[in-house]
Amino acid sequence: MLFNSLAFVAFYLIVTALYFVLPHRYRWILLLSASCYFYMAFVPVYILILGGTIVVDYFAGIWIEKSEGKRRKNFLILSLIANIGVLCVFKYYNFINDNISLLLNNFHYQNPIPYLDIILPIGLSFHTFQAMSYTIEVYRGRTKAERHFGIYSLYVMFYPQLVAGPIERPQNILPQFHTEQRFDYEKMVSGLKLMLWGFFKKLVVADRLSIYVDSVFGHPSSHNGTTVAIASLFFAVQIYCDFSGYTDIAIGCARTMGIDLMKNFNRPYFSKSIKEFWSRWHISLSTWFRDYLYIPLGGNRVPVPRMYLNLLIVFTISGIWHGASYNFVIWGFLHGIFLITASIFDRLKQKWGITYELPGFINITITILLVSVTWIFFRANTFDDAITMLSSLKTFGQTPFTGGINNMAHCLFAISMLFLIEFKMEYFPQALNLVNHPKMWVRYTSIVTLIFIILLFGVFSGGQFIYFQF
Amino acid sequence: MNGFLRFAKRLLIFIFLVVAVDRIGGFVLKKLYFSQEKGQFSQITYSLDSTTHDVLVFGSSRAIRHYSPAILSEKLKKSVYNVGMDGQMIPYYAALQEVILNRYTPKMIILDVSPWELNAGEAKYHKLSALLPYVDEHPELLKYVSYSSDLEPVKLYSHIYPYNSSLFIGLYNFLLKNKLPDYANGYLPLERTMGEKGFKLQKANAVHEAAAEEKQKDIYDEKAIALLRQFLRKAGEKNIKTLVVVSPVIFSNSFNSTKLQKLRDIVAEYPAVKFYDYSQDTNYTDKFQLYADIFHLNKKGAERYSSELAHDIVN
Repeated sequence: MLFNSLAFVAFYLIVTALYFVLPHRYRWILLLSASCYFYMAFVPVYILILGGTIVVDYFAGIWIEKSEGKRRKNFLILSLIANIGVLCVFKYYNFINDNISLLLNNFHYQNPIPYLDIILPIGLSFHTFQAMSYTIEVYRGRTKAERHFGIYSLYVMFYPQLVAGPIERPQNILPQFHTEQRFDYEKMVSGLKLMLWGFFKKLVVADRLSIYVDSVFGHPSSHNGTTVAIASLFFAVQIYCDFSGYTDIAIGCARTMGIDLMKNFNRPYFSKSIKEFWSRWHISLSTWFRDYLYIPLGGNRVPVPRMYLNLLIVFTISGIWHGASYNFVIWGFLHGIFLITASIFDRLKQKWGITYELPGFINITITILLVSVTWIFFRANTFDDAITMLSSLKTFGQTPFTGGINNMAHCLFAISMLFLIEFKMEYFPQALNLVNHPKMWVRYTSIVTLIFIILLFGVFSGGQFIYFQF
Repeated sequence: MNGFLRFAKRLLIFIFLVVAVDRIGGFVLKKLYFSQEKGQFSQITYSLDSTTHDVLVFGSSRAIRHYSPAILSEKLKKSVYNVGMDGQMIPYYAALQEVILNRYTPKMIILDVSPWELNAGEAKYHKLSALLPYVDEHPELLKYVSYSSDLEPVKLYSHIYPYNSSLFIGLYNFLLKNKLPDYANGYLPLERTMGEKGFKLQKANAVHEAAAEEKQKDIYDEKAIALLRQFLRKAGEKNIKTLVVVSPVIFSNSFNSTKLQKLRDIVAEYPAVKFYDYSQDTNYTDKFQLYADIFHLNKKGAERYSSELAHDIVN
């Protein structure tokens, strides 16, 4: 079930209304049933996989807590193998098999391992990582093992964040399921406003830009450098609005039920460096990798070359997390390289006593350009397509493909609106706060205007969220 | 409980406001939309509500650019109107035809189809949103606009929604109506000519893309095929002389040969319908001087083609 569908609107209204009608002790049953229904709207049978890993992690959590020494570690490893195993089978099996075939072909051998004809379970990487964070946190003693099987299942399956995050931590969310959430006017209203903003990002910006982006990335050899540059910048905005729009709807939806999910985006395109970008983009994933991979590898507390290697490992794995393809590997690797390069520059500047800083807007522009170049690998259908597009950049300056003047006008309108609003939120958070204005008529007028804009300029063809495939 | 009552009260006020704005906004947008005298929206309005011509040309942008009603009219000795529409495909022609045939019966229909319209894909149904402003007047269109989503009738409770994505072009058409090109009975030729350099570059790409497409499995859009059959059947039921035409295309391999054959086979199911294929006509393939871009003939090409087609129809 897609958030940007009327079916979801009906589902949300029913579930939220029942949630507040039911006594607290029955609410987990409602939320869990609703989450199962939500998940089964995609590929019903895959609920069994989710169920399997939930059972393993639930018992692993309890056994980890009860055990001591090596046994404790063994249970953690068992849980990690179960989770990563599911990921490997459903997400990486054919990719690994492809590589084995390629390797064997070089030695004139045929690969005897069969290919699997399977569809990737929706949001697999998200709920698997969330499940892993639970057992790791129990192992580290930072959270108690959840004894209530229903509540634990809900931790993995809570429908607003089930298929595309934010990837939550047990310390944040489990206690909230145990606490009785009373109807809170402020939370309800701010949650609904956040959902509306998410719908604007998805319907007015992301899905509009996708019309242009899809037509360029679908036929990369037919377009000149100017078109490719525009499409790459559009994709940068599209993926931000698609994913952060989803997240806003998820956080808003949970907030209306009194449950606070973690922040996942913080206007990343106002970052002045790649390092800052990663502290503002997909925060729940970057902090996951920081806490469960980068720091255990030694983090910053190791010699500099080792630290750089750690960065490369983390970002390359982050690329693979997104998808089983070398394009994602290169995307992650490039981000790792950018971070290392920036760190080397910083160290040299420090060594040579250079204190000069480029103006903020130049740093922001450089960051956006670097990120947009890497998005070409992320979005291109194949590695060859990405290379074709990058090579075509040498014809930058030729007349671009517009994809229809009307659609281009809508794209530019959407980007301008987004930019103005985000610029205000970034640099003047207190000024012109229309949706939270003390005067009711100002608040209502601005919200009704936003609804009007969505109805008039949104794309209602039910575009899939990009991150659902991960 | 107080919080809930406060919320419920304000929600009611808010819903009332949204409905009021939707109704007022919808009214203004409707006025703006239907007051346009030029441009593609007025073309759709005219095609649905006012055509009374002997011959109607249905199709996509290739129909609008390729069929000169003046030339066809002169040779066929019949009044001709081009009801083609940019970006539209078979579902649109079927919807348009149903509304028009409910109003009057033309003597002849020329349907320009490109074989890629048989390709599987939902985009052609989403483009039917161009017909949303007309559902009120022509309820028979509801089933067509619902092809993109079963919930389309629910969305139509909004009075703004039918005019979704039409404001910019509507304002442009309204404010700059004197600068808009004149459709000559629905015909809007392209004046520009493709350059030799561009042609060579596109030809190299076309070879690559055609080879890639030939390798793909033939996945057809069965819904679109059913609508094409419906179009041909309805024309037959009204005894309308019907021609299905694949108009010229710059590269002989632009259309997938299997899909072209599939189109030919579908048309062959209706013995009264004639099929003309100009996609392999060497008078047009590789003659970049006759094209504005790889998909469309320019004015010179369109006039030559219209003349040739009229000649073929008469003979």
